[in-house]
Amino acid sequence: MPETSVKVSKLSWSPNNSFALEGINFELQTGKVLGVIGPNGSGKSSVLRCLYGYIKGWSGSIKLFDKPITEYSALEVATKVAVVQQDTPSNIHLTVEQLVELGLTPHRPLLSLQRPSRVPVLEAISKVGLADKSHQDFHTLSGGEKQRALIARALVQQPDLLILDEPTNHLDVRYQIQLLQIIKNLSISVVISIHDLNLASAFCDQLLLLNAGKVVAYDEPEHVLTQSNISSVFGVNCQVQPHPKVAKPHIQYCYELPTHFERKVKA
Amino acid sequence: MKNATVIHITGLMLLLISVFFSLSFGSVTTSLIDVWHAVSAPSSSDLLNRIVMDLRLPRVLLALLAGVGLAITGHTLQTVTRNSLADPYLFGISSGASFGAVIFTILASSVGVSASIAASLGITAFAFVGAAASVFLVLILAGVHQQLQVERMLLSGVAISFMFSAFSSLLLYFAQPQAAASVLFWGLGSFTQASWDMMLWPTLVVSASILVLRLVQPWINALQLGDETAQTLGVPVQKLRLGVLLVCSLITAVLVANCGGIGFVGLMIPHLVRMLFQSNSLLLSGLFGGIFMVWVDVLARIALPSQELPVGIITTALGSVFFIGIMSKKNKN
Repeated sequence: MPETSVKVSKLSWSPNNSFALEGINFELQTGKVLGVIGPNGSGKSSVLRCLYGYIKGWSGSIKLFDKPITEYSALEVATKVAVVQQDTPSNIHLTVEQLVELGLTPHRPLLSLQRPSRVPVLEAISKVGLADKSHQDFHTLSGGEKQRALIARALVQQPDLLILDEPTNHLDVRYQIQLLQIIKNLSISVVISIHDLNLASAFCDQLLLLNAGKVVAYDEPEHVLTQSNISSVFGVNCQVQPHPKVAKPHIQYCYELPTHFERKVKA
Repeated sequence: MKNATVIHITGLMLLLISVFFSLSFGSVTTSLIDVWHAVSAPSSSDLLNRIVMDLRLPRVLLALLAGVGLAITGHTLQTVTRNSLADPYLFGISSGASFGAVIFTILASSVGVSASIAASLGITAFAFVGAAASVFLVLILAGVHQQLQVERMLLSGVAISFMFSAFSSLLLYFAQPQAAASVLFWGLGSFTQASWDMMLWPTLVVSASILVLRLVQPWINALQLGDETAQTLGVPVQKLRLGVLLVCSLITAVLVANCGGIGFVGLMIPHLVRMLFQSNSLLLSGLFGGIFMVWVDVLARIALPSQELPVGIITTALGSVFFIGIMSKKNKN
């Protein structure tokens, strides 16, 4: 396994006049967790979509495991990279086991009537704590259980790189922590976009802070989550202190907008 | 779904029993023992035997194929478009197929082509061209290269459906009264024309389509997660959707050509199967579609004392009652 899972250099993409990714550079060491943070519309999902080959027409260079992504076929990417998206259709008529089994799709021979082995499927379901719900219909699960089932589906894909787009959205704090613990314990390379900066600080090895399609900071959490970065990018006042229990920065918001931002909102 | 194998085997048994029992219904009184004798000695020249084997069996098998075909088409369309309202009618596939079949029927009647294997192939081919044309038009209108937008696709389907219906009506308006009358009756759906000669294409197409759809079932299931996620699983989304829609067109075309318009089955049966068994199984939808249509055909034969009811009228009436029932149940909940 190469030391670097992802290497992005000078990535630019401009789908229209109102938005563009410009000169994005970062890399992810194998087995580490990279958090992509930034305000709404800053380009987090677009960067992720470039990484799993969904967005085309960008310029620059994206290498997955030391090989340019352009040299991979869609199926090859699917055998190396698993993706859990922000939104999932609500009307999925599959049981948890059937849904998780879909993760085997890139590894199954095309046009085979043979049912694949259930062992990896049941292992993944048990890993995310849904063993007692494997026969339950997906649409009857709670929000947290649905996300865990989708993570299990991604794990069955046996990825070397896991990409998650805001997986903690719509989850209560217990499920947010539970989900991120599961991901952290996987010991594979992970790129995750996340809104909650304290969770990003606690669970990510490195952070990529984006604003308006550009990188503002890329480093370890204590160097990215500074008072000035948060104030200038998100437009909120805060205090950043070391977390009392874990050696990570912890942000306390002041719940008032800075004066220059208030003027901007009024205008 | 628990006990999937048991439910599938039970469905298959019910289908076989339905076929056997349905052979005893018709204008000539036939007991189950007569049916058994006929089935166990298929080549006997006895009159009752010939009625069962030459008139009723092809008809029951055609009804079975129509039920299976329409149910798997509806099931597949609902899955690939992630819309539980999708069926060949809503997508304009049936109207396109009917338009093709109407053109062939009017052309054939003007040049005096009678019922034959060639005529059966001709009407199926015309129906398929019409169905495939409507699929391409729907995809073009909905934006084939974009991510699937379900609303756009449904609206396009409705528009194309009305367009082809209007074309068919226009042709009928200018057609010879006799041809127009036969097309109108055919349009209501019926298995009265069934014979062993016409069984080849429906049997081939429905069987081959089930095999193909079953083989790509994992990919079709992946589409339920959304186009983008399916793509990250290595599924060639656009090609798969086009291929599946063409298979659905072929099934619809061969059934419209041979049985006319039979509405609501593709919409209703997959719903019913999901409701009863919490299952999204293609095969189970097919089995229950077959059982349903065999008994609808029995009803068509015995409902009126001296004549037959078109099956399309029965399926549409049952379908509307079914959906009113679902709506009122949902309102109560």
